Amino acid sequence: MKRSELISRILIVAGILLAVGAPLFLWARTPLIHARMAEDGGWSPDLIQAEVGKPLHLKITSDDVVHGFAVGQMDMQSVDVLPGKVTEITLNFDKPGVYTYYCTRWCGLNHWRMRGTIEVSGTPSDPEPATVPLYVSLDLDLDAPHDSPIVPNGKPSATSGQLLETNLPIDQGAEYYRSHSPYQIFADLSNTSLTETQRWDSVAYLWQINTTPESLANGRQLYAQNCAACHGETGAGDGVFADDLEIAGESSMQTMEGAMDMVMQSPVDFTNPRRMLGASPALLQGKILRGGMGTGMPMWGSIFTEEQIWDLIAYIYSFQFEYER
Amino acid sequence: MNRIELTRIPFIKNALKSRYPQLAVFIVMLIGYIFAILAGLIGTPVGSHNFSIVFVWIAWWAILILVAVPFFGRGWCAVCPIPLPGEWLQRGAILNPPDKRPKWLNLRFPKMFRNIWLQNISFLLLALFSSVLLTTPNITGIVLAAMLFAAIGLSTVFERRAFCRYLCPVGGFIGLYSQTAPIELRIKDKQICVKCEGKPCYNGSTNGYGCPWDVFPGGLTKNTYCGLCMECIRTCPHDNIAVNLRPFSADLAKPSTRMDEAFKAFIMLGSAIIYAGVLLGPWGAFKDAAYNVGSNAWLVYGVAFLAFIFVILPSLFTLGILNTKSALPLKQRFASLSTALIPLGLMFWVAFSLSFVLTNASYILAAFSDPLGLGWNLFGTANAAWQPMLTSILAPAQTLALVGGLIWSARTAQKAAGEVKVSPIPVIVYCFIVTSLMLWLLL
Amino acid sequence: MRFHLSLLLLVMAGLMVAFAPLPVPTTTPQERTFEIDAHQFAYSPSEFHVNPGDTVTIQLVSTDVVHGLYVDDYDISIEADPGQSATLTFVADKPGSFRFRCNVTCGAMHPFMIGKLTVGNNSWLYRSIGLSILAAIGFFPLSHLHLRAVQVSFSDRKTKEERIK
Repeated sequence: MKRSELISRILIVAGILLAVGAPLFLWARTPLIHARMAEDGGWSPDLIQAEVGKPLHLKITSDDVVHGFAVGQMDMQSVDVLPGKVTEITLNFDKPGVYTYYCTRWCGLNHWRMRGTIEVSGTPSDPEPATVPLYVSLDLDLDAPHDSPIVPNGKPSATSGQLLETNLPIDQGAEYYRSHSPYQIFADLSNTSLTETQRWDSVAYLWQINTTPESLANGRQLYAQNCAACHGETGAGDGVFADDLEIAGESSMQTMEGAMDMVMQSPVDFTNPRRMLGASPALLQGKILRGGMGTGMPMWGSIFTEEQIWDLIAYIYSFQFEYER
Repeated sequence: MNRIELTRIPFIKNALKSRYPQLAVFIVMLIGYIFAILAGLIGTPVGSHNFSIVFVWIAWWAILILVAVPFFGRGWCAVCPIPLPGEWLQRGAILNPPDKRPKWLNLRFPKMFRNIWLQNISFLLLALFSSVLLTTPNITGIVLAAMLFAAIGLSTVFERRAFCRYLCPVGGFIGLYSQTAPIELRIKDKQICVKCEGKPCYNGSTNGYGCPWDVFPGGLTKNTYCGLCMECIRTCPHDNIAVNLRPFSADLAKPSTRMDEAFKAFIMLGSAIIYAGVLLGPWGAFKDAAYNVGSNAWLVYGVAFLAFIFVILPSLFTLGILNTKSALPLKQRFASLSTALIPLGLMFWVAFSLSFVLTNASYILAAFSDPLGLGWNLFGTANAAWQPMLTSILAPAQTLALVGGLIWSARTAQKAAGEVKVSPIPVIVYCFIVTSLMLWLLL
Repeated sequence: MRFHLSLLLLVMAGLMVAFAPLPVPTTTPQERTFEIDAHQFAYSPSEFHVNPGDTVTIQLVSTDVVHGLYVDDYDISIEADPGQSATLTFVADKPGSFRFRCNVTCGAMHPFMIGKLTVGNNSWLYRSIGLSILAAIGFFPLSHLHLRAVQVSFSDRKTKEERIK
């Protein structure tokens, strides 16, 4: 055939091979973590191997909506994972173990189920003793009802409680605060000469001194990012997913043997004094750590540090108590 | 009569006659097309960041409907890569005809299908699935690949460019609208063709191939079926073929009376109206119905879509022209008068496309640098943010297009009505009503 | 002659319809607040009307995934995660009809997640329909006159040719 014909054929075949081959090659050599809404598969892969001391480079992309990435119980800033774009992050692990990575931007009803595991191998430097959560050592039944028999007439004020502070016959330490519900402390004050309102105010004050403004601010942010979608921006259990959870209740998972109605249900209303004032911080910590066992409440044990959970709990009580500004 | 022959300019004539400039464009288009298929299949599923969606449904579509069709008629067909692999196989060569031609079946396309009904159907099929097609990269990749393979397959069975002429969903409306374009390919002197032996423009010669579009250039009076491939310019031994500049919509002075073309006009008009309402309107329920293919809502949407195009629009039109007294049968009047909807439909598509193109053109920058969504940054624009462009001129531009389209279609109606000796008023009123509807939907 | 005059009249009428200032009903600017729920792929409610000069506050509540709200022409936007609604306040000083759309990729049909804000009158729509009426009506006499003008000049030429002979 003529030379021009031959050259044209070569050009075309070469061009096509290049246009197909080069991208395919590069694509195959770019391992990406794909983020998808939990309903469509969540993270893939959802299991990553790493080593202590060896930096783990990750490239993450979203296949649908805005997601985020963070590793639980690690001091790190979460990063956004945007649809069609690639986020690069490098993680360093000091201690071996099983870490959980999770989505940090609400991506649907099952956002909290979007989790994966990083198995970090290596020799442990000091084996860490496992700490038993307070609700376990107190032997609290997390699923038993905990309504407060008495509720205050208005929102108890910590400022007013502060004025009554002197000589109150109660322990004001953290251990005491954590293991008692507001109602129990209210009851413990019954043999004083304080009025009911004053007693509630004292409880509010006790709650306030067991936290700090920074912790409350931290708790507020944690609440907004993790809880408000179900529990409501004003804590009233009326978050954007509240209705979906309630409807899902009917068509839900099997109930646990011996447990109460563990069907998906409408999220708790933190502005309800009867329910909240009967719950101790330890109880709340337990619920947050363990989750709701099929009620739709996520388990946060592998995600939040203990400090984060106490901060969050302090903030949750602020729906019940008036703290000083 | 008021034509400027462009091929009189030696530079233009040589550029069109030589196979090399065309080949260069072909290679770029073909590689781009195949890359788009690849991007669709292996790239990010997020449409706005995938080369296939951005470069096909935003960049290519914008150039097609805003530039290529209004100003060059079937100009896109001249450079389209879809028929190329099949045609090269069929011809046995990329450039000039080889000494030994390969023996393919070269069947004549079945007479029953030698019209644009198959193209009407293929366009409607894409239109019914458009919400998914326009937003899902792997569907776009599959459809592009399917068209490529269909073209190759058809080339090995039938003669010439069977896919292009009878199946391509885009070709259906490009052909219809090319009648409004200001360029044309025509013979210079009819007598030369009469005396010409062998008619190599249609049958091929050593210099080139017979018209792949199954058109006899000597009898070409309208742009509708000429794909501007320039083969006839290469084969004509008498230099009797020219590419001319001419007034807009010169072809509509002789309205067609074909029903397939008439219904194509309604299909394009109706789908522009529906897209404007469903895709650009504030009614979420319609968008859900259009997107959730297979659901009951989508079935209702599909039926409503087809009813609007095949029942509502044409029957209102027919009612309007029923009372016009004429010697010609209604069918002929219907087809002839519906030519007025051709410039209107084109302007409807221009107005509709302006909106989503100006809003989303900024995605082109990001997709150019990171076509597969793998985190590349080939040209530094991967992080270009989404930013609607020129939104302040959008409303005036759409008004200009739609009102301009109305004036244009009124003029066309007048000429067509003159040909069939009826009053154009019902058609003009009809055009006014649908134009107002489109204005209300878009503005 | 008559043709050119009518054409001029028509063009002037067109310019008037397109550009003449419409009487603007003066309303005292108010503060308006709207809560807009965003879900894949629509806003609810999706259409609003305010008066020019109003101070508009939009509270965007995302109910499934992260959504945004961008107002065409005003070129302002906010985004909201479910559980963290966002607020956008602006003065509606530009009259007309404006689409607002999602500017955070929220799934397949994201580019078509659109709502409509009307400030005052949708004057462009009225003007463009006015122009269409003008086009449809004015078309007739104009083309009739054009035809006559062409015929007249043609017959003029014929008579001139005959005289020359």
